[in-house]
Amino acid sequence: MSIENSGKPVTLTIDGKPVQAHSGEFLLAVAQRAGITIPTLCHHPALEPYGGCRLCVVDVTEEGWDGWCKMVIACQFPVKEGIIAFTASERVIETRRVVLDLLLARCPDTPLIQRLAREYGIEKTSYVPNPNPTDCILCALCTRVCDHIGVSAIATVNRGIGREVAPPYHQPPPDCIGCLACAEICPTDYIPYTTSSTSRTIWGKSFEMLRCPTCGRAHITVEQARHFAGHGGVSEDYFTTCDACKRKQMAGTFQRLQGVLPAAAPPAR
Amino acid sequence: MSASCSVDLTPAEKVLERYPAEEASLIQVLQDVHRAYNYLPCEVLVRVAETLHVPLAKVFSVGTFYKAFSLTPQGRTIVKVCTGTACHIRGAVQLLDELCRQLNVEPGGTTPDLGFTVKTVNCVGACAMAPVLIVDETYYGNAAAAKVGKYLKGSGGKADAN
Repeated sequence: MSIENSGKPVTLTIDGKPVQAHSGEFLLAVAQRAGITIPTLCHHPALEPYGGCRLCVVDVTEEGWDGWCKMVIACQFPVKEGIIAFTASERVIETRRVVLDLLLARCPDTPLIQRLAREYGIEKTSYVPNPNPTDCILCALCTRVCDHIGVSAIATVNRGIGREVAPPYHQPPPDCIGCLACAEICPTDYIPYTTSSTSRTIWGKSFEMLRCPTCGRAHITVEQARHFAGHGGVSEDYFTTCDACKRKQMAGTFQRLQGVLPAAAPPAR
Repeated sequence: MSASCSVDLTPAEKVLERYPAEEASLIQVLQDVHRAYNYLPCEVLVRVAETLHVPLAKVFSVGTFYKAFSLTPQGRTIVKVCTGTACHIRGAVQLLDELCRQLNVEPGGTTPDLGFTVKTVNCVGACAMAPVLIVDETYYGNAAAAKVGKYLKGSGGKADAN
């Protein structure tokens, strides 16, 4: 993340272990680097921290705070010199248990949530289970990844208990390029799609597939190639070749340059 | 988008002219557009998205998030019934029932002639005069179901809209 290495070096303590970091780095990243596991649901290393799931809560204190702790979310807490963090104190575990209990009430049938809840000793939610069970935990990974690649075809709509992820007007989204990033990043596999060698459907919109000219695999939609070409300043043809074939071609080029293989004309399209 | 709406975009264009074409203008534009149309028509949202260079999904997200915005046409007169605890105890339910019966709408609904919209609010902070009924900007304290017709007439709208 861009914030890394931006501040001066600091030393902090996580679960009694001294850890080196740079001031302004987020506590979650620092802990992960030090091999300390903090559970997360809405975090993805490729996206900005969101603070949506509240599962990464930890206790933070400092020298001179007289034992007083404040509870923060690790993914959005910038570290500084001398802080002392506890990732599994009794209070932290209890708070995470409440979060998971509530998530389990919302998503009683979701395997990921069931597994996490069980890890914290919850077999069954103590709240009234959602009468309309859903797999969506509103972590917004899908909408954030969609924003990140510059498409923004979906967003969260409504508020409160009616909040959901949806395209505008619940119609097939005009901006969607069918890249499936939303479906693949979804931790609970909530977003349905179908894909075959000829077509792909997601959010009610159908896409035509492009085949790799070398291996014939259908790996990208027409809209996807157009979007990436428009953003990267590279021709659409570049994206029609699949990644595996591109790697092979590149390896061939390097071998030729190193004189391993005799110079040859580039493979005909 | 939804097929059946055809809306005059001129008022929206006038609003858009007044603001810089950037994402920061979005909420103010939506507020002004809402004032001009009494709701947010879908064509207008598409136009706003294009002009401000904001993805339509984001405009829709904002438009559905705030209670101040409505995606369906609102009545010329908004009637709000407070359903907070004090009002509930002092008869907000009967008040709402009578209001909905006279206007022949569901809570949250609008009469077909776009005269009235009936809304419920959770508390208006005037519990001493519960139950409270608000017609546009006029607050009626100790409101009685029997006087609903009078309150509506006071608004200048058609009280017998059913």
